[in-house]
Parts: sequence; C-alpha cells; structure tokens
Amino acid sequence: MRRPIRTNTMLAAAAAAALWFMPADAAQYGQQPQAAGTGQNAPTPRTPDGKVNFSGVWIGGGGGGGDTLKPDEQGNITVLSKGRPCHPGQECKPGINFERDSGVRQRMDPNLPLYKAEYWDKVQDLDVNGNFKDPDIKCYPEGLPRIGAPSKIVQTATEIIFLYQNKNTFRVIPTDGRAHDPIRSQDLTYYGDSVGTWDGDTLVIDSVGFTDESWLAWPGYFHSNNMRVVERLRRDGNTMTWQVTVHDPDVLMQPWTMTPVTRRLNPNPKALLVEDLPCEDRDQDHIATRERG
Amino acid sequence: MKRLSAFAFLIAGLLMTQPAVAHHAIQAEYDMGKTGAFTGTMTRFAMINPHCRWFFEETKADGTKVTWEMSGAGPQALRAAGLVRIFQIGSVYEVTFAPAKNGANVGRVRTMKSPDGKVITLFHEDPTDPLNN
Repeated sequence: MRRPIRTNTMLAAAAAAALWFMPADAAQYGQQPQAAGTGQNAPTPRTPDGKVNFSGVWIGGGGGGGDTLKPDEQGNITVLSKGRPCHPGQECKPGINFERDSGVRQRMDPNLPLYKAEYWDKVQDLDVNGNFKDPDIKCYPEGLPRIGAPSKIVQTATEIIFLYQNKNTFRVIPTDGRAHDPIRSQDLTYYGDSVGTWDGDTLVIDSVGFTDESWLAWPGYFHSNNMRVVERLRRDGNTMTWQVTVHDPDVLMQPWTMTPVTRRLNPNPKALLVEDLPCEDRDQDHIATRERG
Repeated sequence: MKRLSAFAFLIAGLLMTQPAVAHHAIQAEYDMGKTGAFTGTMTRFAMINPHCRWFFEETKADGTKVTWEMSGAGPQALRAAGLVRIFQIGSVYEVTFAPAKNGANVGRVRTMKSPDGKVITLFHEDPTDPLNN
C-alpha cells in the first residue's frame, strides 16, 4: 500500500506570507548580517527597544553555489558519502553505518526523561520497534521539542517567528504579553500554542495544546496531550543556547530538562533556507529488521 | 592524558548532538553484502524525502516486463551537488544495487550506467568493507 505524499506547501506559503506582511520595523529587527565576530566575544545585538535580537540564520550553509561535482575525464560522476568521521591520519573510508552509530549515540545519552513505572513497557516497546512506530519514519512532523532549535529566527517588536528547514516548519510566537489562547491551547497540534515573555535577556516560550502522537526524542520518548513545553532562549554574542524543559505529570515522574543545544550564527549574509521537499514513506513495507538510528 | 582528553571531548561531542530526524538503518531494509543488477528504462525520478527514488521498467528475454524501484541518498545531497537534472527519463540504464532483504523489486542503488557509457555512482560505502553487512 502506498502512503500519500505529505507536502508542507501550505505551511511554507503561510511562512512566506508572514514574512511578506511583516510590519515596517521588522526590517530593522531582522537586519543582517550581524555584527562582526564569530563567537561569544562578539557583541550581542539588541533591538531598538533594548531586547536581545535573535534574528538570523542559525544553521550552516544555505548560501548557494555549493560543492557542485564535476564529472571525471570519462564523464563519470561518483558520490560516495562519508558516513562515519575518522581521525586525522586514519584511512577515511566512506561508511554506511551512520544510522547504527546514531542509534548507539542516542541510547548512550544519560539525560533521560523519567517515566512513571506503568509506562516503562511502552517506552521499551517504542524503542525496540521504532522502525515501525516512529512518527518521523512515517513522515509525520517532528513536533516540539523533537524539531530542535530553530533554523532561522525573525524578530519583531510583538512576535518572534521560528523557521525550521525540516519539513518547511514555522512557528509564530507572540511576545506582546498576551496569555494562551483558550481555544488553541486545547487544540491537538504538533507545535502547540506558544506565548513568549522576557526573563531579563532570556526569552521564555511557553507552549501547550499538543497532540500525543509526536515523540520527545528518538528512543521512543512519548508524551501526553497535557504536556507543557518551556523553551529558554539566550544569545551571547553570535552564539544561541536553546534549553527545553518538558512538564508532563500524566506520564513523567518529574519535569525533564533536556541537554541544552548551542548554535552559531551563520556568518554568510546570503544564507537562505531552501524548500524542503515532500516526505513519502516508501520503506515501511520492506523493513526486515529492527536496526535503526 | 592528551589522548584521554581527546576521547572525552569526542564522547561529549557525540552526546551533545541530538538529531531530530531518525530513520531505520540501511541494513534493516537492504542486504548490503549483495549486489543485484538489471538493465531497464528509467520511467520516473522522484525527489522525495527521506530518499530519492528512481523507477525502471526491465523487459525480460521472454518479453515480460518487470518494474524496479531504486532508493538513494536524501534529495538534499543531490541538490547540493547539482545532480538533480542529470537523469534522463526514457533512457535505458544498466543498474547495480543492494537488494531488499524481503525479495521485493526494490534496492539501494549503487551505480547507473547510461547509454553513452557514463557511470553515475551514488553510494555510501566501500562495498568490500565487511562492516557494511
């Protein structure tokens, strides 16, 4: 049975529209490139009203004109991806074990969500049988917080917009002091209803209104639809730190504070996010083992 | 001590990276220690996540037709390399691939040789490496 292609054209169009209709002062908020400097020693840019300015591209690449391959003398083209890093001096063979490596690495993470005892079997089942149950493999949205830190941020005086390369995803987060919308906070969505407030120079984003069909992280860490996600975003120079705490007393014994993620500002003033192409799960019918990563 | 520090740094680096995306291991679907082959007409090239797909129709000696579906790397790798327009729909290719473990007419493409003799190799690994199985 063929599963339908899940396009995100509507999301991409909405994100583009959000950028197009941005208030006039947004250009000033979103100005690029940022001040010279590549790390924490660079000055932290601020908006005209004194807030930390997170605007910028927070992933590498995207400037175009990439590594276009040239055919060899016979006209042959060879692309052999290196799937496993190698030590300087080591013979660096291309490898296909990057998924196996990733699986080992993620299971080694000592910072785990602590589930109530009645859910331990479920967590183990999702981990062992992830090839058949992982919503990401089935092309569903990653959801929050699995999507990770934003790829690009556009900041205005009243809202902050997170753009993600992954599946052309966007989030529009009001920072005008409003409370959660009573309808949307009861919705069942992958990214929830988000509102942002400032705690000094830290932007705090509170999100509720989630579906319970997404995972927190790869091994099969599920959550309930009563989950609350609190993101804390800091910027020091051209470094951004994204820290997440998951509150879900329905299934967790205690809130889970994930290991912080640090991103560097992309220094390329021409860096762009490019369209992510549709995802279609055509593998499921042929998966023969539980190996994954 | 220096070696220990480097090892600790490596482990810390590994632990700090939490990819959002996940996938089954390539070995869960394909037998990477084997190589299959066919010659067929490319009928479709699909730029889709998480893997590009090439579809072929092979005509057997007795005239019967067999369809093949080849999987490759994610589309982003081909886009970054500027390789998305080199495939000729309607042309006959000689294809080698790692076959599906369940015996279906699908595979992980290794090479595609076009009628003019040029070979496109799109693969991850050294097929002779025993760790690939």
